[in-house]
Order: sequence, then C-alpha cells, then structure tokens
Amino acid sequence: MRAVVVGAGFAGSLIAKVLGDNGFQVLVLEAGAQTDHDEAVRRFRTALVKTPLAPYRRTEAAPSSDYLVNTGPFAYSSPYLRMNGGTGTVWTGITPRMHPEDFRTADLGRGRNWPLSYDDLEPCYRAAEWEIGVAADADEQRLHVPVADGYVYPMHALPRTYLDHAVASVVDGAQIDGRELLLVGTPQARNGVPVSGYRPDGNRCAGFASCVPVCPEDAKYTPHRTQKRWSPNVELRTRCVVNRVHADEFGRVTKVSYQRYEDDTTGMHTRQEAEADVVVLAAHAIENAKLLLMSGLANSSDQVGRNLMDHPALLTWALMPHPIGPFRGPGSTTSIEAFRCGRDRATRAPFRIEIGNWGWGWSAGSPDSDTAEFVAAGLRGTALRRAVADRVGRQFTLQFEIEQEADPANRVTLGADRDAMGNPRPSIHYTLSDYVKDGLLAAKRVSDRIFELLGADDYTSYKPDEERYFEHNGEPLRHWGAGHGGGTHVMGSSPRDSVVDQWQRCWDHPNLYAVGCGSMPSLGTTNPSLTMAALALRTADHLVTAFSRATGRAVLAEPAGSRPPPR
Amino acid sequence: MDAFVELSAELTGFSAEELRSTGLVEQYATLARGASDAEIIQLWYTGVWRGVIPSSRAYAEGLAWRAVGVAAPGTDGPGFGSWERRPRGSAS
Repeated sequence: MRAVVVGAGFAGSLIAKVLGDNGFQVLVLEAGAQTDHDEAVRRFRTALVKTPLAPYRRTEAAPSSDYLVNTGPFAYSSPYLRMNGGTGTVWTGITPRMHPEDFRTADLGRGRNWPLSYDDLEPCYRAAEWEIGVAADADEQRLHVPVADGYVYPMHALPRTYLDHAVASVVDGAQIDGRELLLVGTPQARNGVPVSGYRPDGNRCAGFASCVPVCPEDAKYTPHRTQKRWSPNVELRTRCVVNRVHADEFGRVTKVSYQRYEDDTTGMHTRQEAEADVVVLAAHAIENAKLLLMSGLANSSDQVGRNLMDHPALLTWALMPHPIGPFRGPGSTTSIEAFRCGRDRATRAPFRIEIGNWGWGWSAGSPDSDTAEFVAAGLRGTALRRAVADRVGRQFTLQFEIEQEADPANRVTLGADRDAMGNPRPSIHYTLSDYVKDGLLAAKRVSDRIFELLGADDYTSYKPDEERYFEHNGEPLRHWGAGHGGGTHVMGSSPRDSVVDQWQRCWDHPNLYAVGCGSMPSLGTTNPSLTMAALALRTADHLVTAFSRATGRAVLAEPAGSRPPPR
Repeated sequence: MDAFVELSAELTGFSAEELRSTGLVEQYATLARGASDAEIIQLWYTGVWRGVIPSSRAYAEGLAWRAVGVAAPGTDGPGFGSWERRPRGSAS
C-alpha cells in the first residue's frame, strides 16, 4: 500500500507514523526545507522583531504565510510556516481540549456542527496527549471538560507562574456577569514531571520563555519527535512542492505532481511525480485548500477554501500592583474558562482567557518600547534603570481567544499573482462578523472588570493608526491573529455542503484525505493543535482499517500513538 | 575606552563593572562613535543598533532585561519551576 502524505507538519507526521507502523510504504513530501534548530535559536536572538517566522529560513520556492494576498475588509494576519515540522515547530505548545458544546456550535451559537461528538473524539484526545506528551492534571481539567475516569496525563501539570498565583489569589471565586471565575491550569505539550510509565522525549522545560518561536531546550513537542520514531518504510523528501493531485475518471486519486528545488533564492526546480494508492493532504488549512483548488478536486460542494476561521485574539495589558517577574517560564500556564460556554453563546462569540506571562512583549513590544518611552521622556542613569525595572517587572497581558464561526464568505481562492515556482499565491477574503465583534467587545468589558478586581493599572489602548484597528458600536478595538487557521476543507455529514466526511476523507474521492485544522467545522475557543492531532490519529486508524480490508491483508492496527494510554 | 564606559555608566545607571561584564564594551565603543545619548542607551538596553541587533550577545546582555532581573527570552533557562518563585525586588 503506497501512501503519499503532503506536508511534514503536525498532522502529516502523526499519520505517516501510524501508516508506517502498519506496513504502508509512505512518502512524505514537504514543501519547505529541513529545520536547523541551532540556526533557528541564533536567528531568533538577532531578529529585530521576534515574529514567529523570524528564526526560520525563507525559500523563494515555498514561501510561508507572508506570501498571502489579503483582499477582504480585514487582514488575515495569522502566520504559518512551510518547513519540515511546519507550524508545529513554532507553535506555543498549549493543548486544551475543545468543550463538548464546541461540537454543536450551530445549535448553540453560530456556524456549523461537527459530524462527530466530543465523546467520539475523547479516546483520540487521550491517544494524542500520550503521543505528543501533555502535562496536565486530570482532576483539574474535569472542572471544565469531561475527562475519562481513571485517566492520567503522561506528565503532571507544570508549576504555575508567580503571576498565576498572584492573579488567582484575587480572582478565584469572584463573579463577573454571574459567572464564577477560576484560574485553571492549561495543558501543555512541554516536558514536566512524567507519571510512572512515561518516558519524555527531550529535556524538561527550563523556562527559556521563548516557546514561540523556538524552544532552545527542546522541551516543547514538535513533529520532529514523531518523525524520529518513524519506521524505515517512511521516507521524507523536503523541498518538494506538490502542485497537483491527479484523479482518474472515477474520482480515484492516482498520483501527485511536485516541484523539487535545491536553491532557496530562486524558483528553479525539476518536475517529478509520485504514484499512490492513497493521498493525504496535510499541508495546513490554507495550503490544503490551495492544492485542492489547483487540482480541481473535491469541490462538488463548492466549499473548498470557504469557512476560513481563526481565533481573532484580543490583547489587554496592565501593571500588577507589585512585581510579578514576567518573562520567566512558559507564556501562559493558566486560563479562565468561564466564558467558553453557556447561553451568551447564542448572541455573541464565546471566549477563553489566557493569563499571559510574557509582559507586554506581544501586546506592546516591551521592554524595548518602555525603554524608548523613558529615554524620550528624558530619563537617564539610575532613574531610567529604576523606571524600566518597575514598569516591566509588573507587566502582564490577558489574551482572549474569540470563537469565529464558519462563514462561507471568508475564503481562500487562487490569486492572480504567482510565486517564484509559478504557483498561484493564495488570496484571502476575510472579515469579522458582528457576532465576533460583539464577542471582542464583551471580552474587553470582562478585561476591565478583571483589572479592576486586581487593582491593576490598565495600559490597554487601541489607536486608529495601528494595524488591525477597528471600531465596533463606537468603541475602539483591535484584533490579533492567533495562528489557528481552519475550516477550509470543512468536515460535515453530507457531500452537498462539506468537503470531507468524519474521517477527513474527501466525499468526492475515495482515496483522498484532507487533514488538519482545515477539516474543523468550528474551532471553539481553544488552541486547535491537540484537536488536530486527535483527528489525525483517528483518521490514521481509519486508514489502516480501511486499506487493510481493501487489500485483504491482515495488518494489525496498533493503537494510534506509540505510547498507548494506560487504559 | 574608559571615557565610553564612564559615559555609558552615567547614561544607563549600570556601573562600569556591570557594563564591562557584558563583554560588549569594545564592540559598542566602536559602533557608537559619534552616537547620540539616546542611541547609546538603546544599544545598551536593547542590543539594537540603528535597526540591527549586531550579535546574539548584544541581545542576551540587554540591560533592560538585567534591570528587571530576568534573562532575555531564549538565552537562558533558569530551571524547571523557577517561574513559580517570587521575583526579586525592584530596581538596582
């Protein structure tokens, strides 16, 4: 059985592993170059603006999200990385599960329902948490999501930040709009103290405070870990840009065409092909949609590229009354879950609140911006040193992840412009609905109340000359891209209005799969990588079963993930 | 060289000894010839010289981080769970 997997990121690496373990001949074609961890660490340190993509090599042949063309009223500003390991190299490593309600967003709020329930996915969540290595406490998670009885995460919850303790001591038990606040530990794909029977890969988190975009300690899960455990029948080819998937007259996919390049600075390439019995597209929501559109496949529903969603994030920032020591350890180790669910969801987008431990780094460019401000005000010498210490030492940020509903008008199409290889640049038409804007506004109000409870000095300001500024109901707002693109090959229960079925198989093609966040009918309010991983493992098991049956060979499907959970 | 260190100490609020311990005095003295006070401070505090960070060390030794008492992100791991501890007090 020959499988071609397009994309060596999160989903592709996991699926390749399970297929390889089950005797498939797997060819993984990755558009980007190989990763160089040490080079990334060096480049991070000398990058003037430490954006997620800054440490990684950019190739002309396979540019990352900076080659998107925005045509809509709002800029789609979430980055993704085309490189071995994909955006899963850069990710923050926060791994909450979606809430059961999030699978029924059409019934309870806006957007679309999933064709499967939380209960259907729960065993895959467990498998994914053991495969990628998640640190969390099951009892603590049960406070807001159902976790199977007796289940243990492979690692104990990470210690909370000093900031978390300071915030929790005031906020826990307080009420806003009739909702009780409680800081809950955030599951993390970052090495902590293992439970008995689990051996972590990589080092324990030492608190380098640069998880995005690179963990110098290799304490954060990246797809490279899964790749290290691929069986020998999985072959990775980097610098191979797949630009066409071919199907026969019956809709069966037969092969892929790809462009192989050596030179990073031009579009020079050779053309190659690979035949396959099954093709799995795992190239990221936008790239998967682009490739399907370029191939003219899977689109009888006219939904390919549509329903582009993300988490429009709202940042608010303030000073605690006393020093809390920001920029130490992970970016966020707790969150407030009280606004994820419930009745309000019918009228405005729900949200989840992360307690941000890296000062105003993302929100306001600290500490460089503070230094510049004080220098401009004439501060010198000890007065300057004290001012910076006092200002930065008390900084924290709240990050609100707002749900965005699937809207067919938010879409990826093929732009008229071409990249260096001659492939169309994705064109993005993106906007925020009133439902989302109402959610952002509600989040801002909650932020005001939290800062008031904490006695924090609110420094949040959104100015018309800043990127992604807008007004809603006369109030200034801003949105940030969370890097959680999804929905572009949406999963559903009917081929009439969705691209893939519950197994992420394209309705129109029995042996073509499009996997990743692009399949998700809703993103809820949680960082989606864990859910993507759970779906990938579910699809991998399905592939093993379906294609073993097809060939009549008895291939034993080992449990998805290489370290089955202890139940 | 000494004149540059003295000027830098006066501008930054860090002692000549603290500045020398960064290992950056020579590089910065050369770079900052004829620079304004504000540029010298920016270089010492953030490691940025006219829109460029000249070396990993310049970033890692940024005095803004030292003023706060934390390592520049991505340059040092203070240890598992260290983030839970009370931070040291405020300035100097």
